[in-house]
Amino acid sequence: MRYMVVPGIIATFSVAIIIVALQLDESPAMIVGDSMQPRVFPILLMVINLGLAFFLFLQYRRENPKPLAWEGLQTSGSVALFALFYPLTVYIDMMIAIAIIMFAMCYLWGERRLYVAGAIALATPTAIFFLFDLVLRVRFPRGIFTNWYYG
Amino acid sequence: MVDALQAMSSVIFDPELIGLILITTIMGVIIGVLPGLGATTGAALLLPFTLTMEPVHAIAVLATIYVSATFAGSITAILINTPGTAAAAATTFDGYPLAQRGEAGRALGIAVVSSTIGGIFSVIVLCIAAPLLARVAYEFRPPEYFALALFGLSMLASISAGGTIRNLIGGVFGVWLATIGAEKTTGVERFMFGTYELYEGLSFVPVFIGLFAMSELLVQSRRLNQVIDTITMKAVKLPTKEDYMRIWKTVLRSCGIGTFIGVLPAEGATVASMIGYSEARRWSKNKDEFGKGAIEGIAGAESANNAATGGAMVPTMVLGIPGSGTTAVILVGLLVHGLRPGPYLFTEQVDKVYQIFGAMLLANVMFMALGLYAAKLFARISLIPLPILWPIVFALAVIGAYALNSSLLDVWIAMIFGVIGFLARRHGFAVAPIAVGLILGEMVETNFQNSLKMFDGDWWIILTQPLAAMFLFFAFLGLFGSSIFKWISKRRKQSL
Repeated sequence: MRYMVVPGIIATFSVAIIIVALQLDESPAMIVGDSMQPRVFPILLMVINLGLAFFLFLQYRRENPKPLAWEGLQTSGSVALFALFYPLTVYIDMMIAIAIIMFAMCYLWGERRLYVAGAIALATPTAIFFLFDLVLRVRFPRGIFTNWYYG
Repeated sequence: MVDALQAMSSVIFDPELIGLILITTIMGVIIGVLPGLGATTGAALLLPFTLTMEPVHAIAVLATIYVSATFAGSITAILINTPGTAAAAATTFDGYPLAQRGEAGRALGIAVVSSTIGGIFSVIVLCIAAPLLARVAYEFRPPEYFALALFGLSMLASISAGGTIRNLIGGVFGVWLATIGAEKTTGVERFMFGTYELYEGLSFVPVFIGLFAMSELLVQSRRLNQVIDTITMKAVKLPTKEDYMRIWKTVLRSCGIGTFIGVLPAEGATVASMIGYSEARRWSKNKDEFGKGAIEGIAGAESANNAATGGAMVPTMVLGIPGSGTTAVILVGLLVHGLRPGPYLFTEQVDKVYQIFGAMLLANVMFMALGLYAAKLFARISLIPLPILWPIVFALAVIGAYALNSSLLDVWIAMIFGVIGFLARRHGFAVAPIAVGLILGEMVETNFQNSLKMFDGDWWIILTQPLAAMFLFFAFLGLFGSSIFKWISKRRKQSL
């Protein structure tokens, strides 16, 4: 059954894309001419992927790979921090979000000296912010800090 | 030719560029010695910092990161048995045993000199081969470009790490990603799901930052408890006359191998170093020494991986087909700075092209100096704790993804592709095929469409075009060549 997981995900994804592609708008024949409709190319790709997923299934069955171990706290925690970054950025501030995630990541990955984690979490976004703002002229999205800084 | 030499030498009269190359060489070496942060990740992270630079300066920065990080992987390979980049993996086979014998300085000296010779050789080949190839490429029409892009994808599938089927799936997925957005000729919206920021298609930079930097962050989170043995050394020693006598043939052979493999559209440096190493062993009179500290092993691997850097720039600049993951990022850099890769780059902006080549040459000389005099210091940088290093990479990745278009969507795209890249790598898929597929996707589709228009919808006429047929034949060989070869040798054995 576990041989089916990865090829199954690829096959399901490919079928889903084919279904979506079949619902794409058709372009008038006058524009397309002798070329192909915009939906054809992605469908062609996904048909190739379905064939490859089948070969991958055969390969998995032949190789009999060991089941993968569950991810540790650091990896799954880092993915969770990625997810947390979204609401922090949208509702608070991008720079503050980066600092919070950096601090949490330092701690999660084993840095127990809080002043070191704190210093890195503060210094890095600050340095990057001023570099991008003053030198590269990049405006960051509005939030608590940027509202105060940009005025 | 004189104009080319003039343009190349103009680099040394541009103090700003020299300063940039020096700083970037130092950064490249630091990136190269930090395990996990290879040339590709480094170039992807630095690309947004080049936005305000002049095009030549920006590409010189990226190319310098490429050559210096490729070399620097050998420092940690020799001193802590951990290759800083995948391309330095073969260097550990003999570099670390030689260091364990108390000859770390000699091992690094051989690596520095071999890398420099490999790098300079490949830039010279690049200067000669690229304009010649550009002249041939003028004749290319849509069928030839379509076939060439397919050849590029097929080579990637058959050579890069991950296995043929997995790489092909990655490549096809990458090509599909290129179909997101409005279709170029008809304007039909594809796979945008109401997100109008995707109208122009997926931006390459956030996808690359996600695939290379964010996914590497998650990979590194699984390696936190690894214990590293370090070897101390007094100084880097230049190879002696006896050493040179032992390695010169190996270095020359590996220069040729590395440059040739680099030209092929695939993960050049890693494959080149492996083949360079195995060929050094095959031709050596001291085969028994290999694996125990043979200097030919270090020289073979190091000259090949640096020779691949110049080689990989040939298809990137002349044809717009990346020769490796890092050149895929450089290609994006060229596009971002308005230098459209292709044969016309060699007529319309030839000065800039040769200035970039000159910068690469200078970078090779600079990393030699840094390698000889500061390798010990750089080796210490590799011991920066991961819990400090990777959160910094996270911050750079997020802001790098945001900076190009000032778009938060790009940040989410980078994160999503970070997780996709991590899951793919966890299941044995390489991420480079996805990146190269994304770049080649538009080239494949647009040129196929244009070919159909040229031949009134008869796609099979593509096969009758000599150059296109040749590339398609090579693509077929790339995909099925090894299986056919195995089948033939099996039949031969059975008949005997």
